[in-house]
Order: sequence, then C-alpha cells, then structure tokens
Amino acid sequence: MIALESLQEKLGLATPLEQRSETCWLDPGTKSVRELAAAMNALGARFITITAYQLPKDGGLRLEYHWDLQGQLLGASFALAGNAVESIYDICEAADWIEREVHEEFAIEFTGREYEPLLLRLGDTPGVNLREEVR
Amino acid sequence: MSYKIPMGPYHPALEEPYKLDLICEGETVRDARLHIGFNFRGIEHLAETRNYIQVIALMERVCGICSNIHTLTLCQAMEKLTGHVPPPRAQYIRVVVAELERLHSHVLWAGIAAKLMGFKTMFMTCFELREKVMDVLQAISGNRVNYSMNRIGGVNRDIDDPLAVLAMVEAIEREMVRTVIPIFTTSSTAQSRCAGIGVLTHEKAISCGVVGPTARASGLPQDLRRDAPYAAYAEMEFDVPVEPAGDVRARLLVRALEIMESCRILRQALTKMPPGEINTGDAKIVFSTGTATSRVEAPRGEVLYSVSWKQDARNPTRVHVRTPTYVNMPAVRWMVRGSRLADTPLIQASIDPCYSCTDR
Repeated sequence: MIALESLQEKLGLATPLEQRSETCWLDPGTKSVRELAAAMNALGARFITITAYQLPKDGGLRLEYHWDLQGQLLGASFALAGNAVESIYDICEAADWIEREVHEEFAIEFTGREYEPLLLRLGDTPGVNLREEVR
Repeated sequence: MSYKIPMGPYHPALEEPYKLDLICEGETVRDARLHIGFNFRGIEHLAETRNYIQVIALMERVCGICSNIHTLTLCQAMEKLTGHVPPPRAQYIRVVVAELERLHSHVLWAGIAAKLMGFKTMFMTCFELREKVMDVLQAISGNRVNYSMNRIGGVNRDIDDPLAVLAMVEAIEREMVRTVIPIFTTSSTAQSRCAGIGVLTHEKAISCGVVGPTARASGLPQDLRRDAPYAAYAEMEFDVPVEPAGDVRARLLVRALEIMESCRILRQALTKMPPGEINTGDAKIVFSTGTATSRVEAPRGEVLYSVSWKQDARNPTRVHVRTPTYVNMPAVRWMVRGSRLADTPLIQASIDPCYSCTDR
C-alpha cells in the first residue's frame, strides 16, 4: 500500500490527502484536471472513471475522477465553471468513452477533443441527459 | 485498396448488439471503430427513482451473468452510507456466491471460445460443467440468474450445509484438470486459433486501463480481491494468475487458471465459514448525506459503484456504474489491428465482453 504522505509530495499537492472510507481524496487546489492526470500517469496510477453530479439549487456541476494506485482508490473532485472542463483523453486514452458518455448525459463540454458519433445512440445531439433542466 | 466491413450490430459470435467497423486490406484488418449503445437502458437514471430496496433489484439487472456482483458492489457502497457492517458469516457467503458466479461465467466463456474455435465437443463439456455450478447457485438462492442474495448489512439467505457444495467444487476441478485445461493448452487447433492472435501489448493494456483477465493476460498483476480485499477475501489464500503474452491464448489460460483459484477459494470459504447471523436484522436503514464508492473484482474485472444519498431522502441522488467491459472493449481496436478478418470474432470474444453491462 502506498504512503499517503509521499503521495502528496509526488503529486505536488498543497493539502494533505484525506482517507474517507476506502477512498483517498485529494484536493487538487490550483492544479487543473490535466495537470493532475499527467501527475497520475507519472505515478503509474490507472484511470478508472469520471462521475458527474448535478448539485442542488443551481449549484452547478461537479466531476469526480477516480484512479487506482496499487489497489488504493484515489479520488479528486472538480467543480465546473460553466459547463466545460479540459479533456484528458489525449494524455489518458482510457478516459475516451466516459468523457463521451458524460458529454451526452450531462451536456458537459470536454474541451480540446472531438466527439465521435454518439456513444448512447439516441438522437443527434447530447440526448440521454441526466441533467434536471433537460429531463 | 482498403475497404470497410461492418460487423454487427447483430454479431456473429455473441448474441448482443454492438458494431465493429473493420477497415481491411485484403484479409488483413488495418483498423477498427467500435459502436455501442444500441440497447442503452438508462439504468443510472432509473436508479434515481428507486428506494434502497428497489434499487438493489434494479441494479441486479445490469448484467445477466454477474448479477450478484452488481448488488454486492451496490450494497457495499450503501453500507458505507448507513453504517451497517455485515456479520462474518455474511461476508463468507458473499465470497462463496461471488466465486460461484465467477466459475459459471468463466466456464460459460470457455465454452463459447471453444465453439468459436470449432470445438463443439468442448463447448458441450463446458456447458455441462456450468450446469453443475448453476444447480448449486439455484440450490443456495432459489434462482439461476438473479440470485437476490445481497442486502444492506449482509445477505438474504444462509447456506445451510456449506460442505455439501464441496462435491461440486471437486467435480469442476477434476474436469478442468483432466479435460479442459489440457485441451486448451496442448491441442493444435486451440494453438493455431489462439497463440499470437489478437495481441494486446503490456504498454497498450496500461494505456487503455483494461481490467480483469484481459489485463492479467497482458502481464498486469492486478486483482482487487488481493489488492483491496472486500467481503472475506482478506482471509483467503489464492494466487493471481498472470500471463505476459497478451494474446487470445493468454486470456484463455488466465481464465482457466482462475477457475482453479476460484475452486481453491471456495474450498476455504466453505470449510471455514463461521457460524452466526447472516445480516444486521430489521434495524431501520438510515442514510447519511454523502457519496460512497465501492469496488469489486467481477469475473470480467473491476466494477465500481459511486452512490450518492441525502439524509432522509427516499431515493439515491446519483448511482454511477463503471463496468469492466466498458474499459476493456475499446482495447479490441488494438487487438484486431493486423489480424486476419476470420480471427476477429474470436478476438472480440476473448475479452469476454458483456454488452448488457456496457449498455446499462
């Protein structure tokens, strides 16, 4: 199992990592999601998934990214400004399908990438949408 | 000159919908594009309209083969939000049912792989073996597909006579050692259809983030049962089979060896099963506000659930499911590159894809 103190240093994070339940949460601080993904690549962490949440009362959208490092589940949360976030697909191939799916379900734009034909195959625009205002 | 061959959505090997556009030069595949979503069911959205009892029944239907794994992962996540800790006997029963499910999934896959290789006799042998496992699952749970075993805080049904299951475990082991493994490893037909075919290199496996036997057959020694143990796996002794070659044969070998390891785990879980309660009883289920994530090693690899709940809410606010095929399937593009067109059905089948899980 990896030592959390060394992980904070290796990832260049200002805030200590916090173990809650079985997930080790890290505060990305000023790091962008691309910088964090690159740091995870350098560590040899395996990308798992992205989970999108619509926050209540116009709180906007939040994305949770998960990685696995030697069996330790690592999580990082990013609040979105607007509906866009940088894509990590070009530095993390495994993120391709989940970025496309989140784009289609929540109409979140992953900037810096092109979308192939719809993954979920309903209609010709982001359609199978989990966002409240478009349900 | 290159040309495109659309394969699917009605697939020649697997009776589930997905499509592969193969770009070929002669008989050689140069590239491929995958299309899924033909049967997308919106289960994550449906989950937001179900209470904690209904959502278990719903998520059990994400997959028709590893249905138990989905409820196990979901219940583990909900247990973190409710503070219900399953008693030791329930943890052992969870291991037993999970390993029986792995056995029937792997044996089913071995049968389908044999059929695709033209080994009809082996197909029948594998399905006969699988039937034995299904009988045990039916005897334990009353069901053959959706076992309804898991609940928040434990399991719904006890295994009255754990030692009675051992006879089936021994029969499976015997048949695997005597017939299945020797044929898959030594027959010239299996060798010619599988060795060096559909290679996923170690580097590409890392890049694609593949999981389960697909990863282990490309030299990645990852298995959540060992790396992040859940249920009673920390108390089990077993090995994680890893093969470096990355071809169809390696994926076949890894699964065959995993069947043996599953038998080994089952024998330990059945003989060491502690007495006691099988769940936390009828105590009121109260959710605290928050998000919980849980992971389990399904037959095809890692399953992850993120479950979000608000205190006093009837339904979850979000349930996200990341299934193993969802990350393994994009790697098929790299496996089929450079292969013969005739090998592509077997290559696609070699990741043991589950489109039901993918189109959740």
